[in-house]
Amino acid sequence: MKVIIADDSKVMRNIIQNAMRPMGTEIIQAGSGQEVFEQLEIHGGKVGAIFMDWNMPGMTGLECLKLLKKNEKYKDIPVLMISTESEDDKVSIAREAGAKGYLTKPFTNEELIKFINSSI
Amino acid sequence: MLNRIIAIDCSPPVINVLNDFLGDTITLESLSFKNIRELKDCRMIILQEGDEKPDLLKQIRKLRYACHFRNIPIIVFRTMENKGSMEPFITAGATEVISLQDPPAAIRQILSGHLIPNRQPLKEETEYIDSFVKNTCAVLKTVASLDVSFEEVYFDNDFKIFGDVSGLIALTGGAEGILGITFYWPLAQTIIARMMGTDEDKINAELIHDGVAEIVNMIGGTTKKDFVGQPYHFEISLPSVIVGSGHQLGHSDKMPIAVLVFRADSQYFAVQICLKPDPNGKTNGK
Repeated sequence: MKVIIADDSKVMRNIIQNAMRPMGTEIIQAGSGQEVFEQLEIHGGKVGAIFMDWNMPGMTGLECLKLLKKNEKYKDIPVLMISTESEDDKVSIAREAGAKGYLTKPFTNEELIKFINSSI
Repeated sequence: MLNRIIAIDCSPPVINVLNDFLGDTITLESLSFKNIRELKDCRMIILQEGDEKPDLLKQIRKLRYACHFRNIPIIVFRTMENKGSMEPFITAGATEVISLQDPPAAIRQILSGHLIPNRQPLKEETEYIDSFVKNTCAVLKTVASLDVSFEEVYFDNDFKIFGDVSGLIALTGGAEGILGITFYWPLAQTIIARMMGTDEDKINAELIHDGVAEIVNMIGGTTKKDFVGQPYHFEISLPSVIVGSGHQLGHSDKMPIAVLVFRADSQYFAVQICLKPDPNGKTNGK
């Protein structure tokens, strides 16, 4: 399965990628919302899940999530938010926009692995 | 009690000026650079420029690092006027350059200015600082398994933070201000390596830049949750990072900055906060 990790932080993308390595998942990295769409085009939309940061330059994760859910080709791809936006109302906004899961930063490696396993 | 001034490798004329200036409550300790052991209770450091001191800039830099983010003024006395720019001393970490040829009253006034105690915390600072302390320790414990202790806080709008890598994030929305974190390079490298579960020698400048941005982002993100429903609730912007050995970070003197000093093992880092509460006393509802 292919998975997109969208975060403007290379460190954070690598942390998530390292946690997923034992699962044999093919990882595609994206640094912004725009790059998520570019990668989806490149891979023909054949992506099993998208792990999405909220605060990214250009198109934010939330904006990207909303656009994905409006897009006939991509609306069924599960989007999992991983963000420092931790207030309850932010989590609700993301879930109402279609996020399947939500993990707030900071997290331990164990919390991340548990989140990934429960999400995909 | 901070009541010790250290004069390092200073000549009798400089020592005489200092003795004339100091009262009974402050002790002047004249030392050679190689004999300096502890700066913790030091209130001011005095150095003297001279032809026989080719390493003075290196000494200033070492002393500034050894201050561990404490706001200890480093004063350089020059014995000859117009000998050259003072800029190298300031960029090395000195606070002020004084000419020994200046009138004694002027020298006393400058030195006195650097001994004025820090301002007292504002009421709002006493209300929001604890949350930043708690979350700074919690973030580094969670992401890097690093035990961090809070050492001290001081309130000095003029002091420039001296470090190797700083992450800054604007706090916007209801409450407004700035949150910054400054590390010396080795600790930043250790933290990012621990975050990524890899060896320190694999951590390059790009990853440190990126990781420090993520750390300040997480401290801001976790802290703003604590302030939901309070006038201190804020939103966070995208972080900026400054990288440069011995860079100095200053803030507007109109901004009440609180500097929090933390310790991780034997290394230190500083968090800087300025937060102006929402004048309407409520969150912005974003």
